[in-house]
Amino acid sequence: MFQSVALAAAAHAGYNRIMATVSQTIRVKVLFFGRLKDAFGGGEDAIDIALPADVEALFAQYAARNPHLQQYRTSLVASCNREFVDWGTTLRNGDEVAFLPPVSGG
Amino acid sequence: MASQFNDIVELVRAPIDPAHLTNQVRAGEDGAIVAFDGFVRDHSRNRRTLYLEYEAYETMAVLKLREIAVSIHENFAIHRIAIIHRLGRLEIGETSVFIAVSAAHRAAAFDACRFAIDTLKRTVPIWKKEYFDDGSVWADGELPSVPSATPSAESAS
Repeated sequence: MFQSVALAAAAHAGYNRIMATVSQTIRVKVLFFGRLKDAFGGGEDAIDIALPADVEALFAQYAARNPHLQQYRTSLVASCNREFVDWGTTLRNGDEVAFLPPVSGG
Repeated sequence: MASQFNDIVELVRAPIDPAHLTNQVRAGEDGAIVAFDGFVRDHSRNRRTLYLEYEAYETMAVLKLREIAVSIHENFAIHRIAIIHRLGRLEIGETSVFIAVSAAHRAAAFDACRFAIDTLKRTVPIWKKEYFDDGSVWADGELPSVPSATPSAESAS
């Protein structure tokens, strides 16, 4: 992988000099359910987030754009790729993150 | 979805048929079946309920239901389990969740069935919205506990 990056850098040195000044971002799929889906105004989104990023930072990015979401933070759990995860879990490109209100099946 | 134990683990939108599912887990080697039939109540906190709507994080909910089935086999001397949850709009009296557990002896079937519904209500990402004459509300629920993210916990799995 590093080798291919080096080759690309040699071929497009100017382009890569510009890109080096921009922090690397990843794209994640984000799902909202229950009352949070109503509050967000939709159940599914895709977002670019700068690395390093964890689940907490992802939610903060949404709350920054939609301040009314912040009130739900303490009554949510998060999942990443369909497993419950800690809010400090590091995100990777292509992850599917969901914010889950208290569950009420049955 | 059949597992290695011929369990039935499903999310459905059509009405649930408890008698059919009960027969599905019944076999000659069994001596008991314990079933739980959860259905839509006509009231909630002194308000008359009109109907319910269930939604789920479907891909994750199926995984969590399968985990319950696997856990049941690991912890109780049972034969088969059917665990079905319905999604969408449900009218009063309609079954929302049905669990049937077959076993050679009743104690394991009782214990496993109780464990299954209690675990479902704590861990499976399904949400219920209650509709009343004057509006609707998401039902209060339980916040699933999240396993520790320590490195030792990860290596143990």
